[in-house]
Amino acid sequence: MSQEPLKLGKRESKLRVDPKWADVCLTCGTCAGGCPVTGVDGFDPRKAVRMAALGLDDELINSRWPWICTLCGRCERACPMGVEIVAMTRTARGLRERDKVPGPIHKGAMMSMQRGNNLGIPKDDFVQLLAEVGHEEMDECCPGFYVPVDKVGARVITTINSKEPFGEPEDMRFWWKIYYAAKESWTVSSTEWEGVTWGLFSGDDETMKEQARRVLDNARRLKAEVLLLPE
Amino acid sequence: MNVFELMMEYIKEGRVKIDREKFAGKLTTVHDPCNYGRKSEKTFGHGYYDEIRWIVDQICDTWVDTYSSRENNFCCGAGGGAWAMPYVNERLYYGRKKAEQIKQSGAELVIAPCHNCRDQIMKGLTKEYDLPIETMYLWELLAESLIIEPWSEEEVAKAEAEAAAQWEALGVVLEDEEEEEEE
Repeated sequence: MSQEPLKLGKRESKLRVDPKWADVCLTCGTCAGGCPVTGVDGFDPRKAVRMAALGLDDELINSRWPWICTLCGRCERACPMGVEIVAMTRTARGLRERDKVPGPIHKGAMMSMQRGNNLGIPKDDFVQLLAEVGHEEMDECCPGFYVPVDKVGARVITTINSKEPFGEPEDMRFWWKIYYAAKESWTVSSTEWEGVTWGLFSGDDETMKEQARRVLDNARRLKAEVLLLPE
Repeated sequence: MNVFELMMEYIKEGRVKIDREKFAGKLTTVHDPCNYGRKSEKTFGHGYYDEIRWIVDQICDTWVDTYSSRENNFCCGAGGGAWAMPYVNERLYYGRKKAEQIKQSGAELVIAPCHNCRDQIMKGLTKEYDLPIETMYLWELLAESLIIEPWSEEEVAKAEAEAAAQWEALGVVLEDEEEEEEE
């Protein structure tokens, strides 16, 4: 244990938490009372706020708490003092060393940056799958249906959750049936079609921005009026 | 645009027709995803609570809310990337609140307008808490209740020509076409 006294201050705080939070938070425990994971690892939202206000940044960042918490915001909604618990917790996630981010979230975000989607599905496989599922699974209900890829001037462009082409391709049919029934002019991009932004969860703002830029670039390139994010 | 706005546009403008018999008498409840509710309210100044219910109301004649819901709804337990994280026991423990709510509602069908929530409720909570329910995406509910009128012959012919040109340009060969070529 370090014997140095902790310096408190907004500038010193890695979590960008002003020590005044120690007074703003009334320690009423409403947040903790409404959180379904209060008590896991001995943590709860109130305790996390106290830790941040008292400069225990590293202890919070290196704990499992920011990842056990789902950032659902029920605590913050109920807080009578408007303490920004969700942003603080997400900041703690972003401060975790990148190779120590639990699960595939950071790796997926990096995969998306390199290959256009979180699961690394190549363009040829993706397009082939759209053609096949659109042909085989839709024939019966929807004669004439096909998935318009890179169609310039379509009204609606949609992103796709990579888990669907990866593992549940038949689930893509739900929206396809709706488009068919509505006779919508729609399209999907053959590249950078990912609709899931794992940077949001890993606390990585730069990756989030890049992902959003790609989605917007596709919409502009194909001159779509409506961008649908079916997440 | 988000999923609610586009579905509502199709329904309001009469671009899709709904068969209300499809889910008649089936007790249904809705799950408010944190991202469309509290997060959206905080970030964009509007939480999508009414929209979910309006769409379900167009399709289902018997549905109830859970308690508590809307801005005080319980997270399914898989939000914030937790579905993909290694803390499985914690994720299922988290979801017990949602599972209790669903049980108390008596619903047979749970509508989830979010991929994460659907997966957690359908593949996580249903088994763990022995819930007697079916779980559907909101757009799945709409897709399954549609009265789909097939396109006219001209429309089909036009689409088939477009499709053929598109797949050729993208270098895609469909299987039954391969068979035809072999014949």
